[in-house]
Amino acid sequence: MKKLFLVLGFITSILALILAVTPLFKIAFIPAIAALIFGLLTFVVSKDKQQFKKPIQLVFLITIITLALTTYKSVFTESQVGNTEQMEQKEEQLEEESIEELEGLEIDDIDNQ
Amino acid sequence: MKSFLSLLIILSSFMLTAQNNTIAAGEKLTFSASYNMNGLLNELAQVIMETSTVKTSKSTLLKLKCTAATYSNWDSFFKIRDLYESYVNPKTLTPYLYNRDINEGGYEKFMKYTFSYRNKNVASVMRKKRRDGTTWEEKKTVKIGSSTRDLVTTLYHIRNLDIHKATIGDSQNFTVLFDNKETVVRIKYLSKETINTALGKKECYKLGISLSNSNVLKGSNDNVIWLTADQNKVPVYAKFKIAVGSGELKIKSATGLKY
Repeated sequence: MKKLFLVLGFITSILALILAVTPLFKIAFIPAIAALIFGLLTFVVSKDKQQFKKPIQLVFLITIITLALTTYKSVFTESQVGNTEQMEQKEEQLEEESIEELEGLEIDDIDNQ
Repeated sequence: MKSFLSLLIILSSFMLTAQNNTIAAGEKLTFSASYNMNGLLNELAQVIMETSTVKTSKSTLLKLKCTAATYSNWDSFFKIRDLYESYVNPKTLTPYLYNRDINEGGYEKFMKYTFSYRNKNVASVMRKKRRDGTTWEEKKTVKIGSSTRDLVTTLYHIRNLDIHKATIGDSQNFTVLFDNKETVVRIKYLSKETINTALGKKECYKLGISLSNSNVLKGSNDNVIWLTADQNKVPVYAKFKIAVGSGELKIKSATGLKY
């Protein structure tokens, strides 16, 4: 049981760390909290408190780093659109092409509608 | 049955020539698209809906444009630069020309539809980029019904509907041409709700969207759009159910509105 909790703790903490460095960093809160719970459970379930001391400490350490990173990113990351120059150029080119095409189309007399 | 069918045909022809009382040139709506998982909101992209006038030697048309661009932190993972535009009659919102130019994580595709309601067909041009960088083109003529529109025009057309005359539970079908196929979109008026938006507290029409012959957007109450219950009928919020969590579209700003 304690081994299972420990393994789950490791998996969730590493998952949280991976998520924290991706743009989906806010989701990292979910596995991070799960990792803390699994870490605590391992500690509570194991009778010999010294047995898994080091691995539990490691799980907590990874989780705390993840939480710090995620919180920092949540507070300081502003959503800004990247470079759209290429799209704007394409848009201008498309408009020119479209107007040319529209000139050739039979458009009903709009003013009479 | 015959009289019902003829009534339906007359109604659908009216639908296409319905007057535009809502959309004006110079309007700009900015949205933020995000992915919501258990209340943890991850902003993905910025969506802009813009209108402008376009002049040809013979007439002045309305250009409806929708663009989507991922935020800079996503660009290195999955860069999206999508452009959808439609050139329409400013009085009836009947489309003449539609362009779709998408770039989604390296996948590039271009579509152009030239509408001809007189001949009830669409001349479509598709251009796709191969992996080696070369492009290939496919030209097709697609038969359409008298009330078939493109995606962008349909979005604006929904705003132009007389929702204030409808009663809760009413629904209407729209035929949309997408990827050279006609798809029927069903819009259902669910209720009137007051929600908090970036534009303030707004009373809104809550509309359910569902596609009848497709696997995406299944069910009518999972995919909902809120339009302000005023004359502008601005889409302020949209929610789409996906496998895990949900997608959201929230308004950030609206300028150049008609009323």
